Amino acid sequence: MLMCRDLAMIASDYIDGELGTAGKLSVKMHLMMCGNCRSFIGNLRASTELLKAHTSGTVDEEFVRHVDERVAAALDAKERGDDQT
Amino acid sequence: MAGTDNPDEKTLISRMKSGEQQSYHEAVRAYTPGMLAVARFYLDRSSAEDIVQDCWVTVIDAIQTFEGRSGLKTWLHRIVANRCKNRLRSAKREVPLDFSDSMDPDLDNRFNASGRWEIPPKLRFDESADTLMENCALSDCLDKHLSALPETQRSALMLYEAHQHKSDDVCNILDVSASNLRVLIHRARQKIFLMVETFQETGEC
Ligand SMILES: [Zn+2]
Repeated sequence: MLMCRDLAMIASDYIDGELGTAGKLSVKMHLMMCGNCRSFIGNLRASTELLKAHTSGTVDEEFVRHVDERVAAALDAKERGDDQT
Repeated sequence: MAGTDNPDEKTLISRMKSGEQQSYHEAVRAYTPGMLAVARFYLDRSSAEDIVQDCWVTVIDAIQTFEGRSGLKTWLHRIVANRCKNRLRSAKREVPLDFSDSMDPDLDNRFNASGRWEIPPKLRFDESADTLMENCALSDCLDKHLSALPETQRSALMLYEAHQHKSDDVCNILDVSASNLRVLIHRARQKIFLMVETFQETGEC
């Protein structure tokens, strides 16, 4: 039988739909009987969402601007027919 | 595999092929963060930034040979990964990888010998991600914990979660096996879970 610790070990696979049919079923059975693991899966899922929301907004503006300038300079050089250095 | 079936992406690519400045401006903005995440998997911050810049300069010519068999993002990420691997090879340095166990020790300690919860999850995070993110202190705390993650975990996580790559692509780009990628992602999520729990409980990071 699947114990709480076993479930915690494969929780991300469950959340991402990476478990096979048997694995998924045993997680679902466990979750029906175990409130603690329901909380855990819920919270791990919320953490994942939080992370997604957080990281998709993270850009190092300064660096992007720097790259942008360098690319623009390289394009100019190419257009003028210079050899880029 | 994903191919370039996105019409906006197709247009962007043909504009880049014709050397239009504005198209590069848009592409740099859209793809640099992901490219940096790839490079940071392999290299320290300043080397990673160097590689990403160099890659963009080569893309100006290389884009002519891009046939759209993969998406633009995947193509760019592969270029970065290859460059990083070359750099590491010439420096004779191995990429350090650490993912022997899929459980975070701090989480593992919360189970008893029979595998049941000894210290169960304290409460439900029932607020939505958007509501939670409005909390600046939490957002700062998340930054702090993300930067404390081992670089390998963080990059895998960024590529998978923030840049929405499919697992296959991430494995390909980072040269990790599918099972190792699962471990990397799971380890990082556990850390975030533990962090949010502590934060909600104590209000402290
Ligand atoms: Zn349980």
